[in-house]
Amino acid sequence: MRALLKLFSPGLWLVLLMAVASTVLVALLPVRPSRGMQMWVFDANHFKIATTIAAGWNREHPDTPVEVKQVTGAAIQTRMLSAFYSGTPVADLIEVERSMIGQVFAGPVADIGFVDLTERLDREGLRSQINEPSFSPWTSRGHVFGLPHDVHPVMLAYRADLVEAAGIDMSKIETWDDYFRVLRPLMVDLDGDGRPDRYLLNSSPNTLFYHEVLLLQSGGRLFDESNHPTLNQPRNAHIIAQLATWYTGPNQVAAEAPVGGISSLQLIRQGYVIGMLAPDWFAGFIRLSFPDMAGKFKFRPLPAWEKGGRRTSVLGGTMLGITKASRNQEAAWAFAKRLYLSADSAKLLYEVDGIVTPIKANWHLPFFDRPDPFFCNLPMGRMFLQLAPDVPVRPSSPYYVLTQQLLSSVVIRLCQYADEHHTWTAAGLEPEAQRLLDEAQAKVEAQINRNTFLRDAR
Amino acid sequence: MKASRLHSPWTPWLFLAPFLLSFAVFFAWPAVRSLMLAFEQTYGPKTTAFVGLTNLRFLAHDPFLWTAVGNTVVFALAAVLLQIPAALGLALLLNRSDLRGRRFFRLVFFSPSIVGLAFVAIMFSFMLEKRTGLVNGSLHQLFPAWNPDFPWLERYVMPSLVLAQLWISAGFYMVYLLAALQNVPGELLDAANIDGAGPWQRFWHVTLPEIRPVLNIILLLVVTGSFQLFDLPYLLYNDTSGSGPDNHALTVVTYLFQTGFRSGDLGYASAIGWMLTLVLVGFALVQRRLAQRNET
Repeated sequence: MRALLKLFSPGLWLVLLMAVASTVLVALLPVRPSRGMQMWVFDANHFKIATTIAAGWNREHPDTPVEVKQVTGAAIQTRMLSAFYSGTPVADLIEVERSMIGQVFAGPVADIGFVDLTERLDREGLRSQINEPSFSPWTSRGHVFGLPHDVHPVMLAYRADLVEAAGIDMSKIETWDDYFRVLRPLMVDLDGDGRPDRYLLNSSPNTLFYHEVLLLQSGGRLFDESNHPTLNQPRNAHIIAQLATWYTGPNQVAAEAPVGGISSLQLIRQGYVIGMLAPDWFAGFIRLSFPDMAGKFKFRPLPAWEKGGRRTSVLGGTMLGITKASRNQEAAWAFAKRLYLSADSAKLLYEVDGIVTPIKANWHLPFFDRPDPFFCNLPMGRMFLQLAPDVPVRPSSPYYVLTQQLLSSVVIRLCQYADEHHTWTAAGLEPEAQRLLDEAQAKVEAQINRNTFLRDAR
Repeated sequence: MKASRLHSPWTPWLFLAPFLLSFAVFFAWPAVRSLMLAFEQTYGPKTTAFVGLTNLRFLAHDPFLWTAVGNTVVFALAAVLLQIPAALGLALLLNRSDLRGRRFFRLVFFSPSIVGLAFVAIMFSFMLEKRTGLVNGSLHQLFPAWNPDFPWLERYVMPSLVLAQLWISAGFYMVYLLAALQNVPGELLDAANIDGAGPWQRFWHVTLPEIRPVLNIILLLVVTGSFQLFDLPYLLYNDTSGSGPDNHALTVVTYLFQTGFRSGDLGYASAIGWMLTLVLVGFALVQRRLAQRNET
């Protein structure tokens, strides 16, 4: 024994002892067994709604209760992908945000970690009950992998207090050209430095989302129905050239108070941006962020690109998927329907989050018509629902985020080109916009063509 | 008897076993596996397809990779040209015997390197923000003609990264150089002084040769650290997963991360990783050869 003790120094023995003790301690830590099903959500309001619905479900289904956990979006993305790639433990049900889903669809259809819901939706006649465009981000190669949570039609949120104080009548505005012309007097210099301290639209070349929102509204698109990139279609070049004239040059009308950014709340409060591209969830964001500003914001349909054109677009989106690893897939499906399809959940979704349901059968519910005192008594739910059928279809391509980034790069470069060449008209910028989009299209195609797993689908 | 048992031919292997085992499990096998992966396309580790040299061929023409390489090289050059002189300048300043409060300044200069990187990224975001940022706000107060919407973080992506990294690292390398400067023999400097050498000549012909080995190590650390740049752009440009506006912040490791852990293509990520490894090993060999030549 003494010889054994002398084999190592006291310090080394101490390290060994600590290693053994900590290993034993970790091994003995109690692991709380998971009861029933687990559901991961990334948003605090979604968590609130899901726990409320789950409480009722758990009373009625004590054998398959649901435990809802709020996990940050980044953690959901990492754990979900790890589970799908390598079979690590994962929840039975996961709410997935649109920017996370593309990577799930990058492999063979058979290896996608979510249960294919196509046949269930058709068999139970649910497909026709849900707003059709809401399925598109969750559909890959003809298979639907998630139940849509929302529609997210986009309206124009604007500072009614500033607009009305200037005596501007918004009801006469029909197109973007009208909007910028009529509101132009609001771009005033408040501090006497010779520069405007107010802009008419919350967007900038660096934004990742708003270019696509405006492109989709105009009839442009990043991918076609078979997820082939269509970045360089002429309509996109036309719109991008128009956007560049909004962002730079003597007629600049847009600047960004980046939503979620450090300074956005301060800038929005100051009226730095008069108008904002606002989906239904943005109404909830405004209410939560500026509780003292009731009566200062109003919503109306987006100005169209041309007279008679589309008055909405789409931004954001969430789905609920059932993982293949779930041992309770049937119970998970039943709970998913309860959570997303019931009238109760539609009411909760609207009241807690301001989000309108994609379930058409619930669109008649009276609470959507209720005037909202925070937004000058506008019937917000009804206004969004009237636009829901016009929401454009969006891609589910694994290369969607890449394409979105490339679109932003194109706009940045086009603005630089405009400044360098003193060309600040849409017609003058269109050829360069087309050239930049052609370059970007080639980059996306090269990446897509490299993907062996998508080749069969092509 | 006991002694002979301890001195059996297996004894050295017994002592080496923990290292060999951990080396095999955590280094050798992953290295071999990642080399094999470089010839595959993957959707996570479960779903793989052998693609031969396709990944390596694609590397040569991948515009994102070459943008990332360009950005990384520019960052590395800026880091070498700014961090090392700045660290040396601070060390020379603190090495002066007539400087009061040396300990205080040493703490001040070193403290940025103990601040968390996330904090640094947030701090620089606050400082360089449009309109509400400290820099634009102060410049607009001092010079009313200054545009308060000047987009530092969008238009000067690489300078922003270089500046943030300089702020973190200069004090850290200063400590190495200060230690080296304090080891320069005083009698050599005195002899040079007696021989009529001025301050610049003393620095160039006495101090610099004496601290060259430490400078070589710092050069290696700065270059390898620059080529592994990931966390700072990832935190500063989080909305684009570290790519920054128009990919101006995209570095080789950021691209590797996006490819491997966001797109799930571990095969192509491995190919990028091996390319980076070869570049760094090549640089280390060249640098070592040059250092040896200087010493002889």
